Amino acid sequence: MADLLSVENLSAGYGRAVVLSDVAFALGEGEALAVLGRNGVGKTTLLDTLVGVTRRFAGSIALGGREVGTLAPEMRAGLGVGWVPQERNIFRSLSVEENLTAVARPGPWTIERVFGLFPRLKERARQSGGSLSGGEQQMLAIGRALATNPRLLLLDEPTEGLAPIIVQELLAALTRLLREEKLAAIIVEQHAQKILPITQRALILERGRIVHQSESAALLADPAPLERFLGVTGR
Amino acid sequence: MPSGTLLGQALISGVLAGGMYGLLALGLSLSWGLLRLVNLSHFALAFLAAYLTYELGTTYHVAPWWAAAMVVPVMLMIGLAQHWLFDRFKVNELASLLITFSFAVILEVAIQLYWTADYRRFETHYSTMSIKVGAFYIPVLELALCMVAGVLAWGTWLWLRKTYVGKALRAAAEDADIAAAYGVDHKKLAYLLSGMGAAYAAIAGTFIALIATLAPAQIWAWLGVVFAVVIIGRLGNPLGALLAGMLIGASESIAMAIFAPAWAPVVSFSVLIAILLWDPEWL
Repeated sequence: MADLLSVENLSAGYGRAVVLSDVAFALGEGEALAVLGRNGVGKTTLLDTLVGVTRRFAGSIALGGREVGTLAPEMRAGLGVGWVPQERNIFRSLSVEENLTAVARPGPWTIERVFGLFPRLKERARQSGGSLSGGEQQMLAIGRALATNPRLLLLDEPTEGLAPIIVQELLAALTRLLREEKLAAIIVEQHAQKILPITQRALILERGRIVHQSESAALLADPAPLERFLGVTGR
Repeated sequence: MPSGTLLGQALISGVLAGGMYGLLALGLSLSWGLLRLVNLSHFALAFLAAYLTYELGTTYHVAPWWAAAMVVPVMLMIGLAQHWLFDRFKVNELASLLITFSFAVILEVAIQLYWTADYRRFETHYSTMSIKVGAFYIPVLELALCMVAGVLAWGTWLWLRKTYVGKALRAAAEDADIAAAYGVDHKKLAYLLSGMGAAYAAIAGTFIALIATLAPAQIWAWLGVVFAVVIIGRLGNPLGALLAGMLIGASESIAMAIFAPAWAPVVSFSVLIAILLWDPEWL
């Protein structure tokens, strides 16, 4: 079976600056990939390039066998790329429900199902997006991406800057999405120990290049690459 | 101090006159609020529509309602063509102000070349019709204008709030890049909105032909007050535009009745300044 996502020889950045060099990896249907690395190594640039908001210098991005690297972001979204940006970027002037319905596409993820995953959003359905707490905004950002019924979900540091109790809640929801719903996902994260247990595969970026690729379980069993490239253990 | 009847009549006339401000403000508010394009040519398009209605009515004896049915699609096409230029040259907010000002001047000259600078009046039997309610007279044309403006403002407001397209437009107005990354085709929606704005200008133009005396320089007559109305009603809010139009119309009319006609222009800008002082984030 062909891979859901196949990235080859990808170089990208902003303006004239090349941030990612010669990145290659593949992701199967229903697989989740952890993208690890220190600050500023190109993790966000990798997701942004898959979404289509950076400048691509070389390489290809194939989604379901179709080349999408040359397509505009709205076309990629239409083909199933769902994005949860690092800044969340929810529509502040729209209500919670409108944030979801404005981008919704037909598919298994209805608004009601999103509310089922994040009951807090249902409670706040009529509130404006701008009035939500950080954790609620993150839930809304994930819910908004789900409402587009993506084939591939891209999550950029989904737990960053949130209170531990909210992080637990989000990780539980993500676990459900990845394990039970078998949604294919790429999760960028600085804290490896949070996401290695819920992903199948992992890659480590260092200065815009992939320096390690393996099963997540292998990294948990032998955290030497984590120590080497992230300066942490897999605890 | 004028009598209660005079004040009441002033209030009614003012609210009805404000309907025209609101109707003109509608298209301007949509393009400014949701596309970040300040479209000064909106006024010129309205007057072009008014002159076309006048021409169809006086030369070919076409009833104003049929004239509107013909003029609206023409203006819609002009609106789309104008948006194509904005899109092609990636025009920003400030540049749109300058470019559409030029468009408006060109249209003013074109109108003057064809219809001359003479004052023109499209006399219909509607213009003298009015309904008497108690001690007050309600002119039929102005009432019809307000009803049309009300339907358009309500309809547009509901459309922006209840439909997928409307919500997508509001999302894109807030953050076009993020909306695009979620599949919102902002370009297509922008064409739709620009076409709508021009169609609204055409509808306003039909009423201008019936209510006002036409002269090319009149294009600029409502510019100041309608700008104030657009801002007071909040950018991109069609109901706000109509209500602000009626508020300003009523305030002007009352000010004229109590003080003198020269006071009218002071009102709209005083209200605008007061609102901006009260809430600098209003814009």
